[in-house]
Amino acid sequence: MCSYKLLEGSPMQLNTIMAILLQEFYHTRKSLEVFMDLFFYSIMTLIIFGYLSTFLINSANPIIAYSLLSGMILWEIVRVGQYSMSVGALWNVWSRNLSNMFITPLRIREYMLASMLSGTLKSLLIFLLISTAAIFIFNFNIFSVGILNLTLHFINLTCFSWSIGIFILGLIFRFGTRIQALAWGLIYIFQPLVAVFYPLNILPDSIQKIALAFPATYTFEAIRANLVNPRVDWQSFTVALFLNIFYLIFSLWFFNLMFNQSKKSGQFARMEG
Amino acid sequence: MESILEVERLVKKYGSFTALDGISFRIPKGRVIGLLGPNGAGKTTTIQMLLGITTHTSGDIKYFGKDFVKFREISLKRINFASAFNTLQGRITVWENLIIFAMLYGVKNPEKKIKELSNYFEMTELLNQVYWNLSAGQRTRVNIIKSLVNDPDLILMDEPTASLDPDIADKTLSLIEELKKTRDLSILFTSHDMKEVTRICDEVIFLDHGRIVAQDTPIGLTKRIDTADVYITFDGEKELIEKSLQRQNENFTFVTKNIVSIHSQEKNIPKLIFSVNKLNIEITDIEIKKPTLEDVFLQIARRESDAT
Repeated sequence: MCSYKLLEGSPMQLNTIMAILLQEFYHTRKSLEVFMDLFFYSIMTLIIFGYLSTFLINSANPIIAYSLLSGMILWEIVRVGQYSMSVGALWNVWSRNLSNMFITPLRIREYMLASMLSGTLKSLLIFLLISTAAIFIFNFNIFSVGILNLTLHFINLTCFSWSIGIFILGLIFRFGTRIQALAWGLIYIFQPLVAVFYPLNILPDSIQKIALAFPATYTFEAIRANLVNPRVDWQSFTVALFLNIFYLIFSLWFFNLMFNQSKKSGQFARMEG
Repeated sequence: MESILEVERLVKKYGSFTALDGISFRIPKGRVIGLLGPNGAGKTTTIQMLLGITTHTSGDIKYFGKDFVKFREISLKRINFASAFNTLQGRITVWENLIIFAMLYGVKNPEKKIKELSNYFEMTELLNQVYWNLSAGQRTRVNIIKSLVNDPDLILMDEPTASLDPDIADKTLSLIEELKKTRDLSILFTSHDMKEVTRICDEVIFLDHGRIVAQDTPIGLTKRIDTADVYITFDGEKELIEKSLQRQNENFTFVTKNIVSIHSQEKNIPKLIFSVNKLNIEITDIEIKKPTLEDVFLQIARRESDAT
């Protein structure tokens, strides 16, 4: 009867968006798990990839080494953004607080926007942290590819992380903790597919065709090209952006479908950790 | 009287199973309505639909005269929910949780409001505690504070006093009575404690198998049972009373050799006592146990269960 329309109705309220952001802030500040998953994991991965790259610089083509390190740094934008959206919702499910929040005037689009903002802020923070660490520890300056290039790559990878995050949110709202492993695991299906650490042409032809359906593939190809030539590849950026728009629309539609089915089946009200 | 909530022919189906079968009721301003029924009667489903977290199959829900589906945010801003079974975010403090909910409801000056409520519920000392470190009773008190943070016109309370110690449970009920009196607050209240329901509810709705099977004031409902139990304590020969009661076709049992329990029609009780008094025995005590809401609940639940 009362299906929930994601994009209709009165304007969004700032107070509800701020409330969700504040909850994320309070929780991130106090949770050792979130600290480990975001900051510790990113720093440790940087150290491993940093030393691997140092080894490769001394024994092979330095560009290959820098490709690995830049791929790793940019991949964290996708991982952290998606993790923040999906696991942020799971913390409320585990606390049996998710339905409490949706019996307030909070609307799903406000919750979604706040989650996207929170994920973006965390991605940006981690990106700046590990990029700075890479300069000081491994003498690798990712900013040398140009601020405009990095900004465009950040936009596309953030949008991609939102699409995956929203898709997983839909599954969490529909199936609860039964699918919680996907909140950490699903993203890694994309890591080999979108050619994070190697050129696209390494992949078999059939897989390349699939890889080109994902916006992140264009971004990782572009950053590798930027390491040699910092010219902005507007064509790759535009293709990735349009693909991102498509995936965002699809994930929002999917989320809406899952949320309505969850409310219809009574799963949403029963959701608990 | 102004209606805060109107429910019309509300139906909820899960596939071929009908959880709610066209219930209708209204909650006028300032009234406390009890929603009772055995497990699986449809109480929780009703509350979930009234809060918008489960969709109804058909029927209408109106808050303040407006359709809930169309005016969801406006409606939810003026209502709230408390349950002993719901919890808040576990890793953050009580204060942080309450600030977040105050912001979600758009409360002006949330700090002042939270301090006032915490003070009343003796929670001030615990505001900086992490929510998961609280006892069950303390969590319930925080949930009640949360339910009052937006000064609602209507609160849906699902067993709000479960797990509270008697003193705090009594305080909670007193607060509900006070709020009802001073603020004309309306409440939809579910509880398994019939004494609580009798104490605070103006009207009771009995649900069973998704249907309303009785709806009346607590006194009105107890009047539906026309029998009572009379306990007579006496000093004398048991056989004299036994014969007298047999002559009157009364249903009785001897609890001890000096106490007889008689299950009788309420209208026959004066005649019964008079006849026993005429016997050559000394009556030392008479206790009449009139039906309670619990008796009504059991009667309805058993009748419905027999019917199915």
